[in-house]
Amino acid sequence: MKSPLFVRCSPGLLLLVAFTLLRPGAAFADVIEFLSGAKVEGKVVKIDKQAKTVEFEAQLGGRAVNRTYTYDKIHAVTMNNKRYVLNPRLDGASKGGAKLTSSTSTDSGMVRRSKAEIDAIIDQAGRTPPDWYDATELNYPDTLDLSFPEPAPGGWNNQKNVGQFVWDIINPNASRWREGVRLMHHLLKVNQDNPVVRTRVMRSLGDMYFRFFQDYARAAYWWRQAGVKAGVPDSVHLAECYWRLGNSQMAMELLNQRTIYLGMIKLWGDMGDTRKATDLAENYVRLGGSPHDAYLLAAEACRTAGQLEPAIRYYQKVLDTPLPEKQKERVERVRNRAVVNLEAIRLFELTDPKKVVNGSYRAESMGYEGPVEVEVRVQDGRIENVEVTRHKEKQYYSALNDIPRQIIEKQGVKGVDATSKATITAEAIVNAAAKALAKGAK
Amino acid sequence: MRLLCIALAFLIGGFAVLAATFIQRPFVDEPAFLGWGAGGVLCVIGLTMLVTASRRRAKSPASLRLDVFLPFLVKRKKNALPASPMFMLRVARSVLPPSWFADQETGKPGKIRKVLKKLGPTVSSAPLRRAVQAVCLLLFLYLFFYVCWPYTAAPAPPGETSPGWRLLSVDQTTGEVELQRAYPLESSFATRSFVHVVDENADPARDGYTGVFRLHRGRPGMVVLTPQDPVSPEMIEAFLVGVGPWALHEREPGRWPSHYADDLSSKERVPAEVFLMIDPLVSLSTAVAARSWVWSLISAASILLVCVLIPRGFCGYLCPLGTLIDVFDWGIASRVKRFRIADNGWWVHVKYYLLLAVLVCAVFGVLASGYVAAIPVVTRGMLFLGEPIQSGVLREWRLVPPLNAGHWFSIVLFLGVFGLGFLQPRFWCKYVCPSGAVFSLANLFRVTERKVESSCIHCNKCVEICPFDAIKPDFTTRVTDCTLCQTCGGVCPTHAIKFVERWNKVELKVVGDPPTGESSLGRRGFLSLAAGSASAILGGSVMALATRQTTADIRDSGNRIPVRPPGSVPEREFLQMCIRCGECFKACPNNVLQPMGLRDGLNQLWTPQVVADWAGCEPSCNACGQVCPTGAIRALPLAEKKAARMGLAIVNQQTCLPFAGREACQLCVDECTAAGYHAIEFTQVHTVVDATGQPTPGSGFLAPVILADQCVGCGVCQTRCFGINVAEKGLLQTSAIVVEAGDGKEDRMMDGSYRQLRAEKARQRDNAKHPARERNDYFVPELADPQASDAERVTPENDTSESPF
Repeated sequence: MKSPLFVRCSPGLLLLVAFTLLRPGAAFADVIEFLSGAKVEGKVVKIDKQAKTVEFEAQLGGRAVNRTYTYDKIHAVTMNNKRYVLNPRLDGASKGGAKLTSSTSTDSGMVRRSKAEIDAIIDQAGRTPPDWYDATELNYPDTLDLSFPEPAPGGWNNQKNVGQFVWDIINPNASRWREGVRLMHHLLKVNQDNPVVRTRVMRSLGDMYFRFFQDYARAAYWWRQAGVKAGVPDSVHLAECYWRLGNSQMAMELLNQRTIYLGMIKLWGDMGDTRKATDLAENYVRLGGSPHDAYLLAAEACRTAGQLEPAIRYYQKVLDTPLPEKQKERVERVRNRAVVNLEAIRLFELTDPKKVVNGSYRAESMGYEGPVEVEVRVQDGRIENVEVTRHKEKQYYSALNDIPRQIIEKQGVKGVDATSKATITAEAIVNAAAKALAKGAK
Repeated sequence: MRLLCIALAFLIGGFAVLAATFIQRPFVDEPAFLGWGAGGVLCVIGLTMLVTASRRRAKSPASLRLDVFLPFLVKRKKNALPASPMFMLRVARSVLPPSWFADQETGKPGKIRKVLKKLGPTVSSAPLRRAVQAVCLLLFLYLFFYVCWPYTAAPAPPGETSPGWRLLSVDQTTGEVELQRAYPLESSFATRSFVHVVDENADPARDGYTGVFRLHRGRPGMVVLTPQDPVSPEMIEAFLVGVGPWALHEREPGRWPSHYADDLSSKERVPAEVFLMIDPLVSLSTAVAARSWVWSLISAASILLVCVLIPRGFCGYLCPLGTLIDVFDWGIASRVKRFRIADNGWWVHVKYYLLLAVLVCAVFGVLASGYVAAIPVVTRGMLFLGEPIQSGVLREWRLVPPLNAGHWFSIVLFLGVFGLGFLQPRFWCKYVCPSGAVFSLANLFRVTERKVESSCIHCNKCVEICPFDAIKPDFTTRVTDCTLCQTCGGVCPTHAIKFVERWNKVELKVVGDPPTGESSLGRRGFLSLAAGSASAILGGSVMALATRQTTADIRDSGNRIPVRPPGSVPEREFLQMCIRCGECFKACPNNVLQPMGLRDGLNQLWTPQVVADWAGCEPSCNACGQVCPTGAIRALPLAEKKAARMGLAIVNQQTCLPFAGREACQLCVDECTAAGYHAIEFTQVHTVVDATGQPTPGSGFLAPVILADQCVGCGVCQTRCFGINVAEKGLLQTSAIVVEAGDGKEDRMMDGSYRQLRAEKARQRDNAKHPARERNDYFVPELADPQASDAERVTPENDTSESPF
């Protein structure tokens, strides 16, 4: 009990540890407790502090196997009657390891962590490659200019310029996202002595881990390495990482900066502070920012929080503001989103799955590129399955899996959180699901 | 007694061969076929001899008696002994009412005979033969219109899923897993005893599939699972390092669909191509043309062996074309007399010359037998006449592909075969059919034949009823024409006709009474033989050269090379082995395979090509290879078929909508992904760049890029592009993505595994790619991180001096 290892363990864990220690016979074998919750008895053969791995010998399925596990899979190791906690075990509902994704947005479902814990998680994750890293091919065209100059000289050439290669080839293909990360890590090594390029690469890494994999710990690590701080647009995403990892305080500190970015409005909304979000939106407009964008985000923040009245008000504001001369096309897309969402809110009152007749319902809603069709299956008042059956979306495919999973977990479309940078697709899925449920309402 | 011993010897020998075949269990079906065939024939000979020995006719002993006709009913003579009926008849008499049988004393026919008489004289004289014919025809139609009808297949429903389970524990010895969840197991799983467990949060690269488990229900919100298969460390480890949540699936997720393949194999209790297999000319000419072993030669050899025992029995009993011609002759041709010809002319030996010509073609490497061999002719006739009607009526008329000149040519040929019936009954079978000629030649080695005894009264009834014109004016047999149909035996009023072993000489009629006027080989006969043979050889050679010439032209003219079915052998061999029977078209779902027309040259006529504008090759289907009788399309298991490249999709960047900057379109990508090949990925095109060189989000389009190492050329992409962008919306003239064949775009092999080939190619590509690039390059620069300055100090590993971690 003297070991400072246990200092930060929750009381429940301490009890468990005490229980483990008191149990007779526990001394005969080493035990690894995995973050998955599984426990295995065997023998620790070797600990590699450098590579952060444990070599473990155990009888699995009647066969003696010798396996090497990275620290990030392990919750705790007990050897020689002593228990060492390597990673805090999260409550049963969240996922473990370096990929501390949390798809829940309300505070109740989220883990809270101290700043020190957050820093430790970020540091540990960033220093170790993701588990798919070695199996991923380093694959890029031979013509690629690895010195990564920005802005890229010459015209658009996705076989030469790294940024354009990522934009054209990596971004649209989920199957290439890992290759993209691997390429960035390679570029980091190649350009390690050039601080400007190095920073550029590390920002791209943060962006990729955040956007492709919602790997908030690694994203935060690389953004921090790149020196992202208040005053830089990426700081909003870094703040989101802090919040997602379990520390809203750190997020808020970073968000309380002088520059207002549109992303902040959404993040405040996601974090549950709708008031702050709407204030920020008003401020943004007062300072000359695009009212369409700001009000739309404010409306969505309200909507996520379930405050439908103010949401409708802000959507209406988007519609009432005349279109500007510049960027007419883009703003028109924003308006369309407001129209669609306003309609969906009217459907929202009908989205209680308990009032839906058993069956499968399909509906569609406009996404980035065209209609997104969603099928919702309801059985005995429960949403059993949500599936995107048809879509023409271009990028940010993560929403296609993430949002349906959230809808099932939350058993409804209220408060489902848009995957950052994929809001349009996510919204379309939420809206379509709402429409589908409305079809089946009694 | 001697006869009995020989019979037993035959039986024992036959059983020995059968047993040897059974015990040996050869690696492939081929030798087994031969074993079964030879053993079966030996056994049948032995059995027949035994039966013959036991029912020896008093005055006419024989060692093999094949009489199965219904003998003409004669009143028993006053002082004759009552005939001892054969065993089966005795049994039948004791079971069935006596009114069904004829009265031997009065000579009055029974009910059976009366019914048969109503059906016609040929049925009443040889009912067994008609029954066998009917069964064979029905079997042929059943195989063709039911077994080869792919639309009875339905994809397996996706199955129920129970998501959101968390791991409670996993037993490291037994692999028993406990899972829990906040709410109970879905009721749809109530009756399930096995589930598939999947890690919902697994890497997309690894599918998270752990295996099949027996499901035990615990208290609500908890399940206990025990592995169905022997537990492996990998399975347990999946639960250790996987983080879940876990989902229980009713069906194995992500399994490659196989409903079309499963449907065919479940229906195919008899090989769908069985009649094509037993047409000896099909396999014989294919083997000669391709100069290779064709596995169906085995079945051809078996049927020839059988037909040594029952000379030309194939034509008389089995051939569905012959039976259809019989039906046509009875129903239509016999009522139209004006085209009848009485005499025999130059045409009587056409079938031999045709056979010779076909074989000469085959020697030159051109397979012409498909045009004239009996079973391909009837199969193609059924295909081009019956299949469109079946599709139209049972599905939709718009799903019937348009007919081309090749179709009409085949239909005319098919109707022509029947039209010959206006000249004489079974004109085609008697004089033209080269498959029949093979049997006629095999008749030279016949064991049994029709014999006429001296009790013949020259009544001419047998000559009149013989459909094959196989009885000479002196009532003896034209042995190469007789099909042993035994109709003559049933009409003979004196029971003078018998079907016995060839060397039987008991009480035979005098030959040449009345005189036949036929010499064995006169001057004219010799001349006609020489002229016929010469013209056959000449015709065959000219035909072979002509077809080869047109083929060469097609290759050189830069025309589109046809995309062949998956698993087709190399093109040269393909053309030598494809019999053009049309079986693959029938079995192909959605008519992806369609026959090439006359425009593509004689050598390509009726060969299958993939018409991807019409439909794409079903991922779950391998039917074409399964029903191909000659192995031109290899009979691949589904796992092999899905790796066999039949072509490569090529995107036309001038017309493809996103590439041309016209509009967003990802139909081909969606189709390819849905089909499970994942062979098309995106590239961003027409991105708008702002003043600083940064791309504008939301601008431009995603355009398709083919991954050549993933694409098998199934054509579902082309089907979709054509269907929507060309046919539906009229945006394009032709599909912007087209499957092309040719060197490097397809895998054409005589043998070997396509999966291994692709794995080998992937390995070569990997080795060739960036050999110098280092593998272990995860690099973390040691930079001062201001925000993490105090992080170092509080991490556990730095904090505990005694911790080994």
